[in-house]
Amino acid sequence: MRKFFSRPWHIVVMVLPALVLFLVMVIYPIGIVVVHSFSQWDGINPMIFTGLDNYRRLFDDHIFYVALKNGALFALVLLVLQIPLATILALSVLNTGRRTRRFLRISYFIPTVLSVTVVCQLWLSAYNAENGLINQLFEMLGMDYRQDWLSGSTTAIFAIAIVNMWQYMGYQFIMLFSAAHAVPGDYYEAAVLDGCSRTKAHLYITIPLLQETYKYSLIIAITGGLNAFSNMYIMTGGGPGYDTYTLTYLMHRAAFRMGQYGYGSTVATVLVLQCLLVSLIINRLVAREQIVYT
Amino acid sequence: MSKRFSVGLVCSRMLLIIYAVISLYPLIWMVFYSFKNNQEIFIDNPFGLPTVFRYQNYVKAWESFDLPVYFRNSLLVAVAVLAITLTCSILFAYATARMRFRGQNGLRMFTSIGLFIPMQVILIPLAVLVRDLHLNNTLWSVIIPYAAFNLSFSIMVLYGALRSLPFELEEAACIDGANVFVCLFRVILPNLKAALSTVAIFIFLSVWNEFNLALIMLTRDKLKTLPLGLLFFQGEFTTDWGAMGAAMVIASLPTVLLYCLFSERVEKAMTVSGAVK
Repeated sequence: MRKFFSRPWHIVVMVLPALVLFLVMVIYPIGIVVVHSFSQWDGINPMIFTGLDNYRRLFDDHIFYVALKNGALFALVLLVLQIPLATILALSVLNTGRRTRRFLRISYFIPTVLSVTVVCQLWLSAYNAENGLINQLFEMLGMDYRQDWLSGSTTAIFAIAIVNMWQYMGYQFIMLFSAAHAVPGDYYEAAVLDGCSRTKAHLYITIPLLQETYKYSLIIAITGGLNAFSNMYIMTGGGPGYDTYTLTYLMHRAAFRMGQYGYGSTVATVLVLQCLLVSLIINRLVAREQIVYT
Repeated sequence: MSKRFSVGLVCSRMLLIIYAVISLYPLIWMVFYSFKNNQEIFIDNPFGLPTVFRYQNYVKAWESFDLPVYFRNSLLVAVAVLAITLTCSILFAYATARMRFRGQNGLRMFTSIGLFIPMQVILIPLAVLVRDLHLNNTLWSVIIPYAAFNLSFSIMVLYGALRSLPFELEEAACIDGANVFVCLFRVILPNLKAALSTVAIFIFLSVWNEFNLALIMLTRDKLKTLPLGLLFFQGEFTTDWGAMGAAMVIASLPTVLLYCLFSERVEKAMTVSGAVK
């Protein structure tokens, strides 16, 4: 039996394909990004090391600050709208019948499985200044609120963030719902029997028990905001001006439009550091102990 | 749970229904306008059911637009990624979960680094790497990176499932004289159906809908996958909303069907991936 489990060539054959693929396509590129972030390279000619020049240039680049602000705003929309709304929906669904629940789950989750292109084009037509769903809706309600949502420099980033929020609401909803469903019902019922209102019972009992799930929701929402790219690329092209640029967009422009691979790598390095930092902070602050139901 | 009538309950019901409308109506609106012509979409009847079902929009979208090509590319990419990732990760997860050798835990933890790295961070070196390996202008330029990027998640789920199987399974096979590969494919895999389907659904959805890498790698029209091919808003279909809607409906059908058929599995596959971040 021992022999069965430890023939060296068996192990090598099993481990090697995955390991080689992973090393070449994931680990090696990560290393390269960091190295290139200290260099100037156009992708063809030999690379020149320039030390911290790229980083200095980045911190002087006004688009960098626009991108930072947009990443933060995007994350903020998800944080203050998506997570609370998903929580309320998840808790409300808890006391519905089986068939209603199934219908609601499916209708909330369907946008999540669509491709980002379909979702963005759908919303492009919904936001359309002349014939879009939203402006026509306002018109039908007799409100004079018609405007071009995606070309206003302040409305654009929010309009885009709302699309992302709409698409992934079902995702956050399902995560919170499954976690809330797993909380033993007697905790909540004991509180209600003691004269606590439903809302209060959820607020003081169910929600604190979901903290581990909130940790994941938060990380997904915030890193999702920092990483946003495809929504902007499809819906506004980064515009008006640079008003909907994000860090990924900045990287994309530097590397693939201007051929500055070194500078693009610098942006990528800053982006990954930012994501790791956010994950670390949330891991330290939220749900430090594991909850086990016995 | 008692269901007394209360204001709170009514409010929460209302909210559930309102959000269901917000979530579904844009999609229904899209399906509706895929059957309409511009006159009807813009002026006569923007919100309701189409008065005449203009199925010609679908014929037009399918024929005058390269939809069949994009469909084929997406399918080829998804099948190839599934084959590569599943094979590699089954073997790797089996070795680290059940075989005995030094460093097996370290090796497994090492592959989980991939869970924390967003793919767009390494877009630049991947583009260079694919060019140096002469994979550019083939579908392999996305297949290989997708396969590599899905390894971490796949290994993690399969490792967990493999650890929960009893070792008696192999003992019986070992006494019968089977070698480890025969045993893995004949005895172990049939016990991994749940984990395998979770992983397969997750990989299929993420590959089918991937945008960022495909945007960089697939520049020739013949190679584009659906999410790229559908970027036609500035293109030839701008003025014909009906055909555009039809193309989007066709492109969405596979994943929506997959979800409606296996809704619980799909939800599980998607949320398991969130819980590892």
